[in-house]
Amino acid sequence: MSATRNKAAIIGVGQTEFSKDSGRSTLHMALEVILQALDDAGLRPEDIDGFVKMRANDDIFEIDLLRSLNLPNLRFFSEIPHGGGAACGTLANAAAAVCSGLADVVVTFRSLNERSERRFGESSAGGGLGHWMQYNIPHGLVTPAQWVAIFAQRYLHEFGYTTEELGRVSVLCRKHAATNPHAMMYERPITLEDHKSSRWISEPLRLLDCTLDTDGACAAVVVSAEKARQLRSRPAFITAAAQGTGSHAEMMTSYQRPDITRLEEAEACARELYRMADLAPADIDVALIYDHFTPMVLMALEAYGFAEQGQAPHLFREDKLELDGQTPLNPHGGHLGEGYLHGFGHIVEAVRQIRGVAANQVPDVKTCLVTSGTGVPTSGAILSSEAY
Amino acid sequence: MADVPRPYPLPDRDTAPFWEAQNQHQLKFQRCSACGAVRYPVGPLCPKCRSFEFEWATSSGRGVVHSFTVVQHQTHPAFPVPYTVVLVQMDEGPRIIAQFRGPDGARPEIGMGVHIEWEDHPKQSLPVFVAER
Repeated sequence: MSATRNKAAIIGVGQTEFSKDSGRSTLHMALEVILQALDDAGLRPEDIDGFVKMRANDDIFEIDLLRSLNLPNLRFFSEIPHGGGAACGTLANAAAAVCSGLADVVVTFRSLNERSERRFGESSAGGGLGHWMQYNIPHGLVTPAQWVAIFAQRYLHEFGYTTEELGRVSVLCRKHAATNPHAMMYERPITLEDHKSSRWISEPLRLLDCTLDTDGACAAVVVSAEKARQLRSRPAFITAAAQGTGSHAEMMTSYQRPDITRLEEAEACARELYRMADLAPADIDVALIYDHFTPMVLMALEAYGFAEQGQAPHLFREDKLELDGQTPLNPHGGHLGEGYLHGFGHIVEAVRQIRGVAANQVPDVKTCLVTSGTGVPTSGAILSSEAY
Repeated sequence: MADVPRPYPLPDRDTAPFWEAQNQHQLKFQRCSACGAVRYPVGPLCPKCRSFEFEWATSSGRGVVHSFTVVQHQTHPAFPVPYTVVLVQMDEGPRIIAQFRGPDGARPEIGMGVHIEWEDHPKQSLPVFVAER
């Protein structure tokens, strides 16, 4: 266990609608969800003294928020790199800040017009390329789907699976999204046949293996557990929050590592989380697993200890991840069904599950595992209803 | 569409010899002068023994397909679909990304032996892999 176990909590959350076109700026949405999250927490903008933001693919800086909110002084501000890998890293940073006294009220957020303004699934790479990208992009390996396809093909080959196992991931997330009114794919479930007949993007990935580019925003307010108990909202205690890396680390192209069917950084993060929390995978009531591409969900479930290496497809075949299964997976529908806020929707869903107010509420949730982007330096968190 | 240039590497003080060699149709790896380890991607320090000393060694150009993808959805004007990208485990150890050129559009298979051929582009020559006979 760790010194920070259950010493910080998410006390407020905010979330816009998720859509294909928000009709407003990312700064506008960020401010909306931050004010919502503060209101949810029973706090005022003047109470904020820290911000933690995710880096990559957005253009909002804490100074934009400070100007907009008329906040002259911020005691703590930091930025976590590597896009979706950073989501729970913001919680780890925020928890460290409030536990150490560097800040009292830390806001973290994600705001994207990923569908209407800049689609990250498309490549705009041109001109000269430096660092790891120079070894991949000149050869036509230019998008996240293509980078992931290389890992996925090897995974299917090594463990003798067909793409049907990928389809089962998508079908389950869409099933859950179908009954979540907030989801972009509300009332739009799919079948394995739909998956199989969707067009190839980059083999072995089809369209229905890929996340939904989404417009929207989410925010969370982190305070100390002590302060959380004095506020009106129900806290989701940060039992553990950690970051992790692996060997030969690149941004989604760590092809030099000995075994590319494993997610080393997620395994590192899992070890750290379970150690900090003094919990095991069997103790997790709801798993919010980062699902930008279906094969990475299989590998993440293995990394976080829900199945042995190469065995995660059986969790889907045996209905272990259904809402009434042993570890319900992404009850909100995840990135594949609800929308793609780079892992922040998963954090908001975890808070709702702990509060008992989720659209697809799992009964009696005590602990949620939230994982962040895979294939990149990553992070994860375990949130709990009680500070045990 | 063909007039849209391919993205190309931007050599720096570490990587310039690697890319210059490719323009001479040679795949070169750094070999540590202290411990002999081959390293890739290009970098100043040996991750095994942390020596800065190295020499450039020319690859045999042969390897085995470790994984691949057939790209079907076009995302970049310089890369008309379909095309196949392979990850090849080279005999020297590193794994290299490059396009696969199969006869009549034949697909690669994981475990297949391949060797390098070269294609010239305006800014940079690049390797492609073809099946060993």
